[in-house]
Amino acid sequence: MPKVSALNMPDVPMGLPSHMELQRTRVSCDKDAPTHTENVQASGAYASVGVDNSLRLDQFRKNFRVTVVRLTEDDMEFDMIGIDPSIANAFRRILISEVPTMAIEKVFIANSTTLVQDEVLAHRLGLIPIKADPRLFEWKDDNKVSNEKNTIVFKLHAKCQRGGPRLTVKSDQLKWLPNGSEFIDEPTTATDSTPATGSTPKTFTNFDHSQASLPEFANNPIVPKHPDIIISKLGPGQEIELEAHAVKGIGKTHAKWSPVSTAWYRMLPEVVLLQDIKDELAEELVKKCPAKVFDIEDLGKGKMKATVARPRSCTLCRECIREENWEERVSLRRVKDHFIFTIESAGQLPPQELFTEAVKILEKKCKGLLDELS
Amino acid sequence: MTNAPQRYERFVLPEGTKKVSYERDTKIINAASFVIEREDHTVGNVVRMQLHRDANVLFAGYKLPHPLQYKIIVRIHTTSQSSPMQAYNQAINDLDKELNHLKSAFEAQVEMMKQPGDY
Repeated sequence: MPKVSALNMPDVPMGLPSHMELQRTRVSCDKDAPTHTENVQASGAYASVGVDNSLRLDQFRKNFRVTVVRLTEDDMEFDMIGIDPSIANAFRRILISEVPTMAIEKVFIANSTTLVQDEVLAHRLGLIPIKADPRLFEWKDDNKVSNEKNTIVFKLHAKCQRGGPRLTVKSDQLKWLPNGSEFIDEPTTATDSTPATGSTPKTFTNFDHSQASLPEFANNPIVPKHPDIIISKLGPGQEIELEAHAVKGIGKTHAKWSPVSTAWYRMLPEVVLLQDIKDELAEELVKKCPAKVFDIEDLGKGKMKATVARPRSCTLCRECIREENWEERVSLRRVKDHFIFTIESAGQLPPQELFTEAVKILEKKCKGLLDELS
Repeated sequence: MTNAPQRYERFVLPEGTKKVSYERDTKIINAASFVIEREDHTVGNVVRMQLHRDANVLFAGYKLPHPLQYKIIVRIHTTSQSSPMQAYNQAINDLDKELNHLKSAFEAQVEMMKQPGDY
């Protein structure tokens, strides 16, 4: 008789026992606190029960899934199933602070007689999202000259007539200057002055050609994403004249470069009825839930049964298990490797492109960690 | 504000410094730490997670020594079948492939969402 390992016999249960599998894959949200919140990552964590917890690439490929739930112009919601929280969190962090955008960084104020102080005005201008694809621009560091590849110039000139009503200056009054700055960079002392012989006077930028001649912007002028952001209010006789220079940057430097309003994820809620909940109890349960997770199924002859209709909308308020004995009837859980990811774009780029940019940035980081070692 | 550090110091590698440096532990065999300049929890946590999935890794952890020192330290201890360098390389290569797969899966889903009639 050939020798057979006990582990290969058909009636020996394989895999993790069900209660351990539940602890491994679900967070249970009990009345007082969530339990089993940890993620078991160590490859040998279940070695004693004969289960290999190491993860290989082909396994990841088989299990990983993405489903887009909602996609609009400036927000999207999608599910990522089969990833670790550390990856989901890396994407969130990158989206908020490392995906580049264009934002106003330098403001040259020629005249401002409004009540808004210059620095406050400059800060407000910086926060206006600008609809320009940052991938078409280069990085500009402080000692580099502003040119058509790294700077977008806007002009703002608003004046409130004497005797007229007050004037509200909104973001649509920022006018794009595809030929660069119009302000003349005057030499500070008279001795420096080089005679401008016939050439155009030196301005704050050095554009070789107009940005409007580039195919990307020819039919698609650069404007603030929202035309109705209030910049300042002018009283009669007050005036603003300024030029704003936008450059490429990331949210780590200043939040004005962050391409998202917010980006966040949550784990998929799972609501399980541990026993049949009937009649009055079913009605009570439906009434308890403020998120309307439960529905009533009519079994005929006046009999009713509660069902879990919309587990996704569960907010884990735990109202349904607060009262006595309800913890035995309903179990609230979260699926540990199922992330509902939401991206709200600030408008510079559509959300789906923001996410692919974030993945590219993380890939680039990974490569950067290897390059110098080998 | 005059003595405030430049904002770009958080992510621009100063000239003459290496992005990653490797330092072997002198007392324990198959143990080493990697100092990664200008990175933070974004990368540290992902690498740590990936290392934990390797059966040859006995210990893997990362720390951010100080919020104003823009570097992380990843410490790896492996069995004699592997070496910290090998585990580190493999973890990052695997991660890179996973991300590639993730990106194409995501793009495919977005395409499907854009053309609802196609599936």
